[in-house]
Amino acid sequence: MIPTHWFLILSAVLFAIGVCGVLTRKNGITIFMSIELMVNAVNLTFVAYARQFHQLHGLIFVFFIMAIAAAEAAVGLAIFISLHHHRETIDVDEANLMRW
Amino acid sequence: MIEFTVFFVFAAIAVIFALVVVLHRNPVVGALSLVASFFALAVMYVLLEAPFLAVLQVIIYAGAIMVLFLFTIMLLNLQRREEPATRPVQQFLGYTTSALFGIAMVYYLAKYAVLQLPSSPFLSDARRVGVTLFQAYVFPFEAVSILLLAAIVGALVLSGRSVTQS
Repeated sequence: MIPTHWFLILSAVLFAIGVCGVLTRKNGITIFMSIELMVNAVNLTFVAYARQFHQLHGLIFVFFIMAIAAAEAAVGLAIFISLHHHRETIDVDEANLMRW
Repeated sequence: MIEFTVFFVFAAIAVIFALVVVLHRNPVVGALSLVASFFALAVMYVLLEAPFLAVLQVIIYAGAIMVLFLFTIMLLNLQRREEPATRPVQQFLGYTTSALFGIAMVYYLAKYAVLQLPSSPFLSDARRVGVTLFQAYVFPFEAVSILLLAAIVGALVLSGRSVTQS
């Protein structure tokens, strides 16, 4: 069996890469994909600890996180489509108004 | 032994494709790399004795969510658009902050999170997960279904504005 902390280290590396993408990129869709990357890193941590402590609750939480990530992706991408209709760009620096 | 080889190969795949997502300029390449990274994570779930979640990962993430991303990228036709350069201060602070964060997390995990492995294997097939889900978590399950319905309505309202105007 593979030690649990190796999975935790992999998860930490993936999370740091996602943080890097959110902080340095301006393209809204790329920022969104970086957020999905961070969500998956957290999922990996949940599953690793679920195996470590023989708890099925961690797996159930991953199930719910997946459902919520799907909802988040649908609404977020709809927001970007709406932004593109109005501003012809999805650069997040251009999205500086609450309504127009 | 073969378990460790599989772990290192797919961990490397996950990290490399995640780096491609963050560093590549073309969002279509980024989305496809993210699919590859999610497949590698599904292999990690198999190694962690959670085959049900591995299947869910492939179907929901690599199948549904990433198709949604690719559809949006192609609908907005972002492929040819050049991304404007980020301010150098923001770039520098972003890279250094995330690198420091990652190094600190890896250091502390390698030092303090080392635990004794459980002796017995973890039984988590679809039947056990389903029984737990529908006994202890029925109410959150129903709440998530309402949340997904709200997300559908919200997405239609947000993106369908040009249709109602015409």
